[in-house]
Amino acid sequence: MFVAFIAALLAAPLSAQAFADAYSFAERAPRTQLERTIAEAMPCVVKVHGASGLATVQPYGTGVIVSAQGHVLALDQVMIQDGQTSVVLFDGSVHQAEVLPAENKLGVRMLKIACKQPLAFLRVPADASARAGMFVVSIGNSFRLAEYSEKLSVTTGVLVAKAKTGLRYRLQDVDYDGELWITDAMNNPGHGGGGLFTLDGRWLGLNAKLATSRDTNSDISAAIPVAQLVPYIERWTLGKVAAVPTDTGPQAPPYHGIKLFDHGSGQTSPPAYIEKVIAGSPAAQAGLASDDLIVRVDDQAVRTCRHFQELMAKLRPGQKINVTYKRGTTVGKGELTLEASKR
Amino acid sequence: MKVCVVLGSVFCGVLCRAISAQAPDAMVALQADIQRAMALAAPCVVRVETFGGVRKAQEGGPAIADGAQPERKPKKKNDDEHKAPDDKPDTKKRGLEGLVTPGFLQAQGATAGLILSADGWVVVSRFALNYDPSTILITLADGRAFHATRKGEDTSRGIALVKIEADGLPVPELLAPARVRVGQWALVLGRTFGGEQPSVHVGIVSATGRIFGRAVQIDANCSPANYGGPVIDLDGRVLGLCAPLSPAGRDAGADWYDSGIGFATTLDDIAPLLTRMRDGEVLHRGWLGVATDPAFAGPGGKIVSVNPASTAAGMQIKPKDTIVEVDGVAVRHHFHLQMLVASHLAGDAIHVKIKRGDETFGATAFLSPLPEAERAAEKKGRVDDPMPWEGEEKK
Repeated sequence: MFVAFIAALLAAPLSAQAFADAYSFAERAPRTQLERTIAEAMPCVVKVHGASGLATVQPYGTGVIVSAQGHVLALDQVMIQDGQTSVVLFDGSVHQAEVLPAENKLGVRMLKIACKQPLAFLRVPADASARAGMFVVSIGNSFRLAEYSEKLSVTTGVLVAKAKTGLRYRLQDVDYDGELWITDAMNNPGHGGGGLFTLDGRWLGLNAKLATSRDTNSDISAAIPVAQLVPYIERWTLGKVAAVPTDTGPQAPPYHGIKLFDHGSGQTSPPAYIEKVIAGSPAAQAGLASDDLIVRVDDQAVRTCRHFQELMAKLRPGQKINVTYKRGTTVGKGELTLEASKR
Repeated sequence: MKVCVVLGSVFCGVLCRAISAQAPDAMVALQADIQRAMALAAPCVVRVETFGGVRKAQEGGPAIADGAQPERKPKKKNDDEHKAPDDKPDTKKRGLEGLVTPGFLQAQGATAGLILSADGWVVVSRFALNYDPSTILITLADGRAFHATRKGEDTSRGIALVKIEADGLPVPELLAPARVRVGQWALVLGRTFGGEQPSVHVGIVSATGRIFGRAVQIDANCSPANYGGPVIDLDGRVLGLCAPLSPAGRDAGADWYDSGIGFATTLDDIAPLLTRMRDGEVLHRGWLGVATDPAFAGPGGKIVSVNPASTAAGMQIKPKDTIVEVDGVAVRHHFHLQMLVASHLAGDAIHVKIKRGDETFGATAFLSPLPEAERAAEKKGRVDDPMPWEGEEKK
């Protein structure tokens, strides 16, 4: 027992040194591309702590520094409350954060911390493109494994796809309908708001929460592409105000001249078979005919009558759409120019 | 001379620095290899979209018409009036039961398929046809879309064949299962998410000879996001097709998506089956109908009970008999027997040697498909689980 105690005393300074070595990797020369990317990105990714109290509210997450003056981009979560949100930097220093207005469509929120010295921050890369099959590096505070100056968790995987897929989080549909980077590097709880990078160190996106794809009903790890974030970032870091499209309010769906066999009721909606095409209408000019099954509008698969109507409601007169249809056993395509509603 | 040495060392220093700056980086090289393999196989990977049909929320649960939401409340009597037009397909014939895990709602998103022949034969995952859709649309890598006709399938492999009217299609190189090595890279391609490039998940081959010699096991994500997509090696050769498979007695698919366990049915070794499927045949795993004693050390499989509706009963196989040989292969133990039988399809004839007391005789068994009741029992784990014995190879 005594011997073990002495041994522990003797070993203590050594292990403290080993500990210090392990955590000063910024000073170690990275040997591989992956290590270089991690070393450069790590100081720009921060821990974000917020309001706790409710069992269902996760009081921790991740953010990325996007300006030298202390702008931190994070996911907009319940825990982020003014006066209760703090940011923990790479060196372990804790900073109270000012909470700026959120970007609801993207589900992100800017935080601002006061800092005496300029911070290392993530830059929007000149080339923000990447291909499926490329390695990605994902940094975040999964399961709050890191506290103070402890380093965040790094995972790698590949880019599965860049795609639009509807997301669902805890049975609720997510508002965001833009493109996403889908990866096979897991977005564990707390990892959201962290940074996603290419192997060569370019910033690709902001990690989302682990969510369910509405296309597959399976969980996917995704990140919001940097390109989508730029206007919101620049609004705060550069004071650039993006032109906001004026909301003209609800409009009648544009006229296309297609009447569907919509015999569904209540919860059900049948496939989008055409019952009738009005003579001289945009649909007639595009070559559509009764009994055709509409399978696609532009790149979007159309599964039901309701789905078709929902897509049409988002469009405006004058817009051109490509309609893919099945007629018997052949598949055809027609371009259709929408007109103003005749009602 | 001195100058030479100095110059030489400077030169060496520069050279060394240049080399270390571009030191071969395994991950960078692998990234390029993955891209190259994807480009090789991508033209053969198609997108499969289905329209119409009946959505099965869960096994035994109500069939929900397309576009409906899952039911969350107890069904009321008068709900029947609001049912969709009754175009409920004959799911029994297709053996669709049990393909979907209870409680799991399948989304009707796109899945993938693989071109098998230049004249338009395409293999897809049965998952894609789970709704028994009225329309199947196949979109090629070049963007051309075709109406597909459903042909045969193999329920034991989770695959189905469809045909499109096209010519001159690119055909992938298939890798023989015997050449697949545990630990090699395995990339799963998919087309669920659209776009010009296929999607990809990367992992390794975890095991070969799974599902009674029908599949390789991989640790890359295998889910509706890539069912029907090929699993390829770094040379773009196809090891198998990602499908919702699981060992008998286990629920398939959904539970295993994120567990690092996926199965890809092998394709290179099933040319005769593909021929049968082209003719519209629906193939099932073969079933003999005997339960064996796991405590019996062997050699042979000792029968404890015989299902009265089975082939075995028809052949007068009786409890206490021991099956000692299948198609000339000596049966080592009960798992070995199950492995030997389950590697066959229904309709196959197998020759068995049976030991009864001191007497040994031969007989031919025509295997039947697993009946519905047995399949349900197997799912609940009541029937002796015919898991392959570790280390066993298909004869």
